[in-house]
Amino acid sequence: MTPWPRALSLRLALMFALVSVLLLGALGLYLYQSLAREIAWRDDEALVGRVERMRALIGDSDSIEALRQRPQLYANMLGNRESLLWVLDGAGRPLIEVNPEHLPVPVLPQGTGVQLRGSAGTEPARLAWQHVMHEGQSLTLVAGKLLAERTQMLAAYRLKLWLALGTGALLAFGLGWAVSQRGLRPVRTLAARAAAIDVQHLHLRVQGVEQVHELQQLGEALNQMLARLEDGFGRLSRFSEDLAHEMRTPLNNLMGQTQLALQKTRTVEDYQALLASSQEEYERLARMIDNMLFLARAEQPDAAVRRETLVLHDAVAQLCDYFEGMAEERGITLVNAAHGTLDADPQLLRRALANLMANALRYGAPDSPVHIACSAAGEALEICVANQGAPIAPEHVPRLFDRFYRCDPARAQPGDSGGLGLAIVRSITQMHGGSVRVETGDSGTRFVLVFPRRA
Amino acid sequence: MRILVVEDEVKAADYLRKGLGESGYLVEVAHNGIDGQFLVQESEFDLVILDVMLPGLDGWQLLQIIRRKSQVPVLFLTARDAVEDRVKGLELGADDYLVKPFSYAELLARVRTLLRRGPPREAEQFQVADLQLDVLRRRVTRAGERIVLTNKEFALLQLLMSRRGEVLSRTQIASQVWQMNFDSDTNVVDVAIRRLRAKVDDPFAPKLIQTVRGMGYTLEVPE
Repeated sequence: MTPWPRALSLRLALMFALVSVLLLGALGLYLYQSLAREIAWRDDEALVGRVERMRALIGDSDSIEALRQRPQLYANMLGNRESLLWVLDGAGRPLIEVNPEHLPVPVLPQGTGVQLRGSAGTEPARLAWQHVMHEGQSLTLVAGKLLAERTQMLAAYRLKLWLALGTGALLAFGLGWAVSQRGLRPVRTLAARAAAIDVQHLHLRVQGVEQVHELQQLGEALNQMLARLEDGFGRLSRFSEDLAHEMRTPLNNLMGQTQLALQKTRTVEDYQALLASSQEEYERLARMIDNMLFLARAEQPDAAVRRETLVLHDAVAQLCDYFEGMAEERGITLVNAAHGTLDADPQLLRRALANLMANALRYGAPDSPVHIACSAAGEALEICVANQGAPIAPEHVPRLFDRFYRCDPARAQPGDSGGLGLAIVRSITQMHGGSVRVETGDSGTRFVLVFPRRA
Repeated sequence: MRILVVEDEVKAADYLRKGLGESGYLVEVAHNGIDGQFLVQESEFDLVILDVMLPGLDGWQLLQIIRRKSQVPVLFLTARDAVEDRVKGLELGADDYLVKPFSYAELLARVRTLLRRGPPREAEQFQVADLQLDVLRRRVTRAGERIVLTNKEFALLQLLMSRRGEVLSRTQIASQVWQMNFDSDTNVVDVAIRRLRAKVDDPFAPKLIQTVRGMGYTLEVPE
């Protein structure tokens, strides 16, 4: 789970807000600290000035006593309740004192020149002092300022900064949200376009996002996906149509024969012949369904391929054994020139080769050989089944491996594979990551199974 | 031998009852899982034929109930031949399965195998009428005459003789003799039978290898 909200515009708005908080915060902190330093410096300057003026005043006066008589003078001079003033004698006793908050008399270290110090306590203050000699008497002149007002002012300033920061963040969030809503409008357009494409409109493509570079890529990817979908969907629906047609033929035979038989009473032999003929049609249908199921499963991504290391010569020999009778009847010799080994599913390989060999026997010229051989081709192993005889017409070649495709439109041959035999061969090679191709010419026809060698 | 057929499809149940009855078995039919459960609990059967898709209680559940109390052989029928389905049935304790549509000959063969109890006897010699087959010496004679067969012809004849009187479908024959476990759309089996007949039957009488139209072949002395 991500802590971010799911809406992209909200996310962006939050990011805007975060960025503006960081920026405003850093700026505010800098300004605040500059201000605080500036105020402290000016206060210190004022205190030092005051100490120096007092020294001048004391120097000008006849005696301390005379100054002490005129406290109002200092009060006026200082002008507010913030300021502190002490003139201390050598023993630290105050001779003159302006101290509206009644702070204790400070104890100050020795030193020359004007010195500065902060004083903590209930009322924090800043003090400047100087030790001077006046008429043979050691005096300490102290000027001070209570920090309460300054603290208060800075606190108000801080509050303003926080408010500005908060408002800024809110504004940034709001504006960011509005901006990203607007900026993401092409995404919504894209989504709407994509949503409008349903099964009936697979030919439509996503358009109108070309101005936005990032979305253009997405749009292109979507369009490519749609093209693949359309292609797959088209094949699927053509396939369903073909399937329906294919099923019509045996069903038509079944219905016709049965209806005819029921028109009047027949002999037992007639009924038996009808039932046996029906059985053949049923088997044809069952075989077709089996093959269809096989093809459907082969296309599933998790189609099971149980690989074993096969000795090819033995595998082919087994098939030659199987087809031997058929071959002999047609005067065809099966030549097993396969050698080496292959990692493949034995059942599937046998099925693919059996389909090719059955075809070779069916279409091979009588009294000629059918060769089964294999050869290495780079990283792949090729197994070919070659027969002699008339070439396959070029217009058939591209569609040869399509389901239900037949070169001969007058279909019903005995033992017809239902037009699925080569489709199954292709499926099986694809399940093994390989492919199948056909080479046909005057010298005959070669079907080549290509199996990549596995690392 | 009593067989229970649990099958909800009425036509299928009917022909199973009829067919198995003709083959000499006593057949009880239940049309749903609940009735099936009742029959299994009320009486003893030698074999249960179980459809997987059943109303009420499905075949898997019924199979589990059966297995709780008995080891009666169970043959299940399914229209779904995905590998997982088959594995599931066998894991739950079924003894065999058939995928619909199956040939009746195939069903009968499976039923016989299951009822034979225990591994089939590995006979060394077979005789039908005057035809003899010696497995160990790989010799076939008819009416005292030696007949020379190829390996596969010998295997085919041995299969037919060992299952004397049973109808073997082309698929069964292809699978047992050549290990071709898929329906090849060729007439290989017919060709092989024709060649075998030429050697075993044609010069002799009576003809022992019979074609059962629409089903397959069987070897038996004709009635």
